[in-house]
Amino acid sequence: MKDEGKTMQITVERTGGFTGIPVTKIIDSKTLPQQEAARLHKMMTEADFFKLPTTISSSPQPDRFQYRITVEQEAKQHSVTVDETVVPANLKPLLNWLMAQPAQPATH
Amino acid sequence: MISSQNETARTPSRPQGTHICPICCIIPPHMSDHILKHGDEKMQTWMMETIRRSEQFQGRREVIGNFALALSPGEKRRTVYDARKRETLPGKLVRSEGGRKSRDVAVNEAYDGAGATYDLYHDVFERNSIDDQGLRMDSTIHYGVQYDNAFWNGNQMVYGDGDGRLFNRFTIAIDVIGHELTHGVVQYEAGLIYQGESGALNESFADVFGSLVKQRSLNQTVDQADWLIGAGLLAPGIQGVALRSLKEPGTAYDDPMLGKDPQPAHYSSRYRGSQDSGGVHINSGIPNHAFYLAAMEVGGFAWEKVGKVWYITLRDVLRSRASFSKAADATISVAGQLYGQSSHEQTAIRKAWQTVGVIE
Ligand SMILES: [Zn+2]
Repeated sequence: MKDEGKTMQITVERTGGFTGIPVTKIIDSKTLPQQEAARLHKMMTEADFFKLPTTISSSPQPDRFQYRITVEQEAKQHSVTVDETVVPANLKPLLNWLMAQPAQPATH
Repeated sequence: MISSQNETARTPSRPQGTHICPICCIIPPHMSDHILKHGDEKMQTWMMETIRRSEQFQGRREVIGNFALALSPGEKRRTVYDARKRETLPGKLVRSEGGRKSRDVAVNEAYDGAGATYDLYHDVFERNSIDDQGLRMDSTIHYGVQYDNAFWNGNQMVYGDGDGRLFNRFTIAIDVIGHELTHGVVQYEAGLIYQGESGALNESFADVFGSLVKQRSLNQTVDQADWLIGAGLLAPGIQGVALRSLKEPGTAYDDPMLGKDPQPAHYSSRYRGSQDSGGVHINSGIPNHAFYLAAMEVGGFAWEKVGKVWYITLRDVLRSRASFSKAADATISVAGQLYGQSSHEQTAIRKAWQTVGVIE
């Protein structure tokens, strides 16, 4: 419950895939409705995000996605790079939720 | 020409797990059905493999026994499954070979696209399906929710519906289907490792044969072809014509949401970063453009001459860690064998690789 008071900044970059076009999502929990923010905190806890290894990879397969999720929460910061084929089951709900957020315009 | 395989060049790489399990062929159908319906993904994959292997085994036995069989190797065998927005493969069977047309356009696109790809490989290159042993071509449509992707998972094709804002359904372009199936062919042949230059070659072969599937299905000469990958895939309002252009790499799209097509047409502008397995979908523009230039120079139907050179190179010469320059040398050498040293075809191919800066 304590963590729910702390705001989080999350960046997700999806690269690879058939299109090869990277997609970035930036989420600030401050801007979320309270219910969504609570949901996000719950998914973060379920994923045990800050304890996930920095790289979760499989041998590269054609046209699959790779995700890089970075979370900043007060002094804490953690990045996880994960291949689509080996996304841990407890991280999947968080990843799906993040990818359903509106995309940022391309930066290049 | 095509039937004389040059086996000395390399040992073909096969996908993992090709050991034969002795109990494979005696699992009763109700049990395999149960595993397919209720098992976890690993179990389902194993079961699918098992069923495939036993079918192939039976196929061989029946050929030996000289029985006429409806589904024997050497014929086109397609199945289409519907994942119904889940991510469990293969999903529900919705159409198999010879089956009735569906009301779902994605089913028919996956079926027809796999057919056109089979026909190119079979009729032009004398190849019997993905593994050259009549492997059944399985496709799953409606994979995931708003899934912006298509892929070959080592055993089958998988297509997402797209999110509708950036991308339409991935079966919409026949070259996407040819592309995915060609990843299967690459896996059974050169086995190009999906990283760096060998990965970009893997991507490029998939684009080249994907485009040839489209060109042949429309009976187009090199001048009539659009040389695009993914025409029709970009959602309404997105600024672009496709995902990639073999004719003019870097010009397929330029959009506020997608950014600009990053493909280079010249080796000196290659991407050197680590994203996308070392830019496999970016640097593929270089060999893609070499193919285009050679095909334009030779003229006619691209699959007949330069396409054949690329196919023999993939099948007989390239190794899994091949670089661009190795691929260039290999195509020049194969063109010499097929059409003669200093032939018009060989000269066109050499010039094309020089133009994109891969060789001097
Ligand atoms: Zn690909």
